[in-house]
Amino acid sequence: MQSIMSIIKLKNISHWYSDNRVLDNLNLEIEKNKITYILGSSGSGKTTILRLIAGLEVPDKGEIYIQNIKVSETNKIIVTPDKRQLGYIFQDLALWPHLTVYENISFSLKNMNKSEIEGEVKGILSLFGLDDYLQKFPHQLSGGQQQMVAIARALALKPKILLMDEPLASLDVKSKRKILDYIVSIKEKYDLTIVYVTHDHREAFAIADNIVVINEGKIQESGTAEKIKNSTNDFVKYFIEW
Amino acid sequence: MLYTIVLLPVLFLLVLPVLNIVVLTFFDSNLSESIASMSTDLFMLLLKSLAISGIVAFISTFIGIVLGFSLYKSDIKYRNVFRLLILIPLFISPYILAVAWKDISVLIFDIDTSLFKKTYSFIGMILVHSTIYSPLSILIIGSALSNISKQMEESALLIGGFKDMFFKILLPLIRPSIITSFVLILIFSISEFSVPAFLGIRVFTTEIFTQFSAFYNHNLAMLQSLLLIFICVFLLVSERKRISNSVFLSIGTRGKEVKLYSSRKIVIFSYIILSFTIVFTVFVPLSILVYQSFRTGTSKFMEALSLLLPTISDSTLLAILGSIISVFIGFVAAYYSEVLNKKLMNLMLLILFAIPSTIFGIALIKFYNNSILNFIYSSFGILIIGYVGKYSFISTKLIGNSIKQIPKSLEEAAVIQGIGFFKRIRKIIVPLVLPSIFASFIINFLFCFGDLGISIMVYPPGTEIMPIKVFTIMANAPESLTSSMALIVFLVTILLISLLFFIFKKIIAKYNVNY
Ligand SMILES: Nc1ncnc2c1ncn2[C@@H]1O[C@H](COP(=O)(O)OP(=O)(O)O)[C@@H](O)[C@H]1O
Ligand SMILES: [Mg+2]
Repeated sequence: MQSIMSIIKLKNISHWYSDNRVLDNLNLEIEKNKITYILGSSGSGKTTILRLIAGLEVPDKGEIYIQNIKVSETNKIIVTPDKRQLGYIFQDLALWPHLTVYENISFSLKNMNKSEIEGEVKGILSLFGLDDYLQKFPHQLSGGQQQMVAIARALALKPKILLMDEPLASLDVKSKRKILDYIVSIKEKYDLTIVYVTHDHREAFAIADNIVVINEGKIQESGTAEKIKNSTNDFVKYFIEW
Repeated sequence: MLYTIVLLPVLFLLVLPVLNIVVLTFFDSNLSESIASMSTDLFMLLLKSLAISGIVAFISTFIGIVLGFSLYKSDIKYRNVFRLLILIPLFISPYILAVAWKDISVLIFDIDTSLFKKTYSFIGMILVHSTIYSPLSILIIGSALSNISKQMEESALLIGGFKDMFFKILLPLIRPSIITSFVLILIFSISEFSVPAFLGIRVFTTEIFTQFSAFYNHNLAMLQSLLLIFICVFLLVSERKRISNSVFLSIGTRGKEVKLYSSRKIVIFSYIILSFTIVFTVFVPLSILVYQSFRTGTSKFMEALSLLLPTISDSTLLAILGSIISVFIGFVAAYYSEVLNKKLMNLMLLILFAIPSTIFGIALIKFYNNSILNFIYSSFGILIIGYVGKYSFISTKLIGNSIKQIPKSLEEAAVIQGIGFFKRIRKIIVPLVLPSIFASFIINFLFCFGDLGISIMVYPPGTEIMPIKVFTIMANAPESLTSSMALIVFLVTILLISLLFFIFKKIIAKYNVNY
């Protein structure tokens, strides 16, 4: 991986929760305009990596670069989350339960008048096939629809990077496939870099450009699906067997 | 930033007065004299107060277990109606019940001429305090009972019978709440002033009041206060972990599966015990107040009304102001403690809450009664400061419980999208905890509205507020007039709660918070 091509760079990152070391001197580069999967079992530190990239967590050691700008360093957030031009899909989606679909998406739109906002929101929603759900509340939607709203919301501010934390874990295979296809297509349309976290290697093999396998806070292997499949690393072999 | 803006006044206006009397007492040149004058009689009094409150705490907690189970775990109909009626004693000012039970004992035992007057009045105090504080215990223990997972009970039922399950599974699981209930009620009862004051009983709080206000023996009063503060704060702080983890009111917790028992025996027992309690704690006292008020026609009631009418607006206004500020401070303290792990203000409010109100009143007088701060001391401000200091913790606790339940990601999603701090608070956090904001407003309102302990110490001359008016007139008025006043206070309280409830329901309906 050429570092010129990488849009996100984690350098020597270590992170603790009290005395539990979650990430151990991690070095990771994410390629621009690609879908990178971070693959690992539960508790391996995947969510922590995304939170560090987003600036929701301060690294206890190391540096993070986004588009060649240093955004975090040891014990310090240099660029705040909202200035990092990224969208984040949380594991629990984090849709605001008391706001309608329309309000969820328009909530962060600033410096626009009412009709501009309306045009913008409707545009996004029709792209995701959600035109009929403007006035619905999140709990009135199916799991797949909620998923779509979360993605639509994250894209409303036109981010360069989309961080996704196991968003499809609770969906059935069919809805999952449909949304994965969507994700690939929006990546093209929005010129996005996607970092996608999961414990499901089949999903990764199906659509990832790059895969990073982590275990106990360390990278075990990274590269294309082909490379991972043929890895000689014991953990990787064990992990993808299941 | 917001935290500091709120913390500074809390420290300087509320905490400093308490520190001040601690310092004043210790640097008093007559300290040894004061200590010497704390005779054995006084320690006996303290022991007596502790004993009374211990009995109250024991009875109330026992009732809390039995009725908590009946109310939350048995398969009864009209559960909400029962719950509402059971909770009434918690929501009306203690002295109303004190007046009612005094009436009853006069009617039945003719106490004023009785040789047993003393004994009866202790029993009276235990009775009234148990009546007031049992609902609190029912709330605490009932909430804990409904948090136990259905599977846990059912698997125990498969192995042993109901009895085994109750004593070996349920009771041990709710033990923290049982202890919390006991300790809290012990503190409440020993700090309570209005019931012994109305019943004319000498306990530690009334003794402090007498020393301070009647004998002007300020140094002794402060020393006694310190002793009681120490006991209460020690109890509360040592139980802090348990108390802050127990559920109290579970407002807006969504559909958790609760095991309900529908065996005939349990259900019938529940109906009987709940109905009996409601009759005994609500209907009997109220009927007696009505009876006493109208026994000789409507003239006494009208007289009471004309006495109290002028106080309603001031009392209501003060209570509303006090609770608005308390809810605001409570929200800020709760948010910073739950979300940002800043717990200092919480601890301060907890300690203030533990200080008996008469004593907090003394602290405020000692601090504010000087030429610089007199503008506060001689105005309504001193009452507001008293209410806010004493009762803000209730809001912190209730709102904190709700904030705890909001997933952190809801706010983080907004952070990433560049939503500023105040907009996040206004548009995300506040709407989601709105039900508990309103609940704590109502509860704070009731406490402020019924407060006698602080008010009687600090009220500026010329102020007319309800509890003080009732208290001062009672001293030399016929029984029926006092009963009428208590009845009026009760009716006004119910009216105001209903009104607040109605308004809040309308506002809550506007937000989609009951998802
Ligand atoms: N806020 C936190 N406080 C303490 N420990 C945490 C916290 N968040 C995560 N952890 C711990 O850190 C480890 C990695 O967590 P996480 O990054 O969420 O893993 P993953 O997303 O791969 O399941 C786990 O052992 C988890 O228990
Ligand atoms: Mg995770």
